[in-house]
Amino acid sequence: MNHLTAETFDENAKAALTDTHLRGALRNATSLFGERRREAAASLNNWEDLRTQARAIKDETLSHLDKYLEQFVSKAEARGVHFHWAENAAAANEIICGLTAKYAASTVVKSKSMTTEETHLNDALESAGVQVVETDLGEYIIQLAHETPSHIIAPAIHKTKGQIAELFTSELGSAPTDDVAELTRTARETLRDRFAAADIGISGVNFGIAETGTILIVENEGNIRLTTSLPRVHIAVMGIEKVIPRFADVDVFLKLLPRSGTGQRLTAYQSFITGIKSNREDEGPDEVHVVLLDNGRSRMLAQPITRQSLACIRCGACLNACPVYQQIGGHAYGSVYPGPIGAVITPQLIGLEKAAKLPYASSLCGACREVCPVKIDIPALLLHLRAEITEGASKQRIGERLAFSVWAWIMTRPRLYVLSARLSRWLQWLFVRDGKISDKPTTKIFSPLAAWTSGRDLRPLDDSSFRDRWKKELSHR
Amino acid sequence: MINSSNQTAREAILKSIRAHLGVGDSFEPRINLRGLPVVNAVVHAQTSENGAAAQSLSKVDVFKKQLEAVNGHCFIAHTELQIVHALTQIITELKGTELNPKRVAVSDASGLERLVRLVAVEVEEVTVTPSPADLFGFDIGITTAQAAIAETGTLVLDSSRERHRLISLVPPVHIAIVDAANIYSTLAETLSVLHRTGNVSPIVTFVTGPSRTADIELTLTIGVHGPQELYVIVNEGQPLVVS
Repeated sequence: MNHLTAETFDENAKAALTDTHLRGALRNATSLFGERRREAAASLNNWEDLRTQARAIKDETLSHLDKYLEQFVSKAEARGVHFHWAENAAAANEIICGLTAKYAASTVVKSKSMTTEETHLNDALESAGVQVVETDLGEYIIQLAHETPSHIIAPAIHKTKGQIAELFTSELGSAPTDDVAELTRTARETLRDRFAAADIGISGVNFGIAETGTILIVENEGNIRLTTSLPRVHIAVMGIEKVIPRFADVDVFLKLLPRSGTGQRLTAYQSFITGIKSNREDEGPDEVHVVLLDNGRSRMLAQPITRQSLACIRCGACLNACPVYQQIGGHAYGSVYPGPIGAVITPQLIGLEKAAKLPYASSLCGACREVCPVKIDIPALLLHLRAEITEGASKQRIGERLAFSVWAWIMTRPRLYVLSARLSRWLQWLFVRDGKISDKPTTKIFSPLAAWTSGRDLRPLDDSSFRDRWKKELSHR
Repeated sequence: MINSSNQTAREAILKSIRAHLGVGDSFEPRINLRGLPVVNAVVHAQTSENGAAAQSLSKVDVFKKQLEAVNGHCFIAHTELQIVHALTQIITELKGTELNPKRVAVSDASGLERLVRLVAVEVEEVTVTPSPADLFGFDIGITTAQAAIAETGTLVLDSSRERHRLISLVPPVHIAIVDAANIYSTLAETLSVLHRTGNVSPIVTFVTGPSRTADIELTLTIGVHGPQELYVIVNEGQPLVVS
């Protein structure tokens, strides 16, 4: 139902605004997450220092990304990890499908990974005849419902427990209940068999540590530990920007990420995986593969302003803080990454022309910048992308350019300005009804001016201007 | 074939990174990590009511407090006998719940099985390191932990030193024994210990409380894929773990 695209953002957003269920769920979720984040940040006395430090570490890494990537790869290779480089999503999927064929895998368990959402890995695996089971509770729910995540860290935030109960009853045959603990138990029991049967476990990566070749994955449920411990092969899919230089840098990011995401001091589990097990008879997979994905990321390095998009640690705090996301939710963006960070990353990943509406899905209020644990200046990036869109579309916008030239010409000539204001005061009465200018059948306002009135009423100009009033009354006091 | 195309992709990606970094780089000064401000020591739970108290707490007390704050249970033992008593108490209490444990899996930590055999509660089975396939039928997993972090109430499991990667994860109850001497104050200190030799063990897991989710209507639910109960016995007596 929700495979929307970014191209139809306006329509998606309008539809979302009429969904009262969704808006209630969003209100609860975003305010709760926001509150918890504030409390968690306040439990540290050096939050701002940590943000500064984290951003400096990311800037350092990104400005020498080739160096740190090579260090990360050579350290992990020395510990027995196999690396696969993928320039784009199709290449990543081909590599992973190739690995499933190599290991004759029929079932794959997956833990939550936005990067594999980006590559649409599940579709590729299913086409290759491999059964894929999402094991994060939220991801499992949306997989059963054939939907996509609507929030980076709470994928099924848009669904009520009633809807989930119905889904479990029809898909898993469980008894109807709206007890959340009971629903969770059903998912646990069902997925245990899948874990036991799986040939390969596929996970994402939160941080790749260059100094030691370690991959660090952060979670709460335990499904990542199972995914990376039980099957005999583990494949980790990692964007090339996930590298951090030193093992000690983990301290800063483990303080920022859980607090910004869920408001926790630390999530329940962190798995530090450094190479393969040292003894063959030890528990854990025999082989570990890492797929490194570029898919447009290296392009973002070109300018310092776009480069900062790659500092994102996917905490989801900007989604919760955003007044636009709070109203329309994640699906309306029609992109894998929703919210402010999605509006910034998506056009850079899939191309400005396919996501030209997203940089405008913001009031530029700056709430996202305030909460971002790595201080990404999202409003500046949005403006930068808007400028690129406008410049790229210059040919189609001759009318708009002409209108603004005329406006500028008038505004810089005081007499003309006074004259045109007087004229507007007269002409506006053609459109004013009940003391406001609004888009009603009797006063049809035509495009492009209707863009102003289709969603809100305009106040008419006052009868007399400030200049007139100054002349008449105020100057004599 | 795979190798050569992988090599080509590797070179293409690195080349693209270098090419794009070359452009516009002069606008941004290179940042020197050593020149960064040192992040202050982290002060925890500095809320008005307990800020002063937190200063005077011992590492064990801070660990216990933080663990309990994330729904874990904490026992403190000064002798082997007290460890056995704590185990007895935990299993006895669980017998009265719907978890009703019957089968106990124990890791291969030295001396651990001997302690578990001393527990004065009847269970149907105690097995040391059952196979992964069998482990799904067990009700309790008992392990030690190589270290703990006081400021977050976290256990540190180094699975190259003990077979506890799955025993600590698959059964619905995890009981861990940690030596008080191996509790570190902060996350930063723990990381530096883990990285002491320059190498990091193949699989190190941090465990902070039982498994949890809030994926359905943000309702906190304890016990999803990992344990729903976590008990930690802090051993203040003779160290169990020889490090």
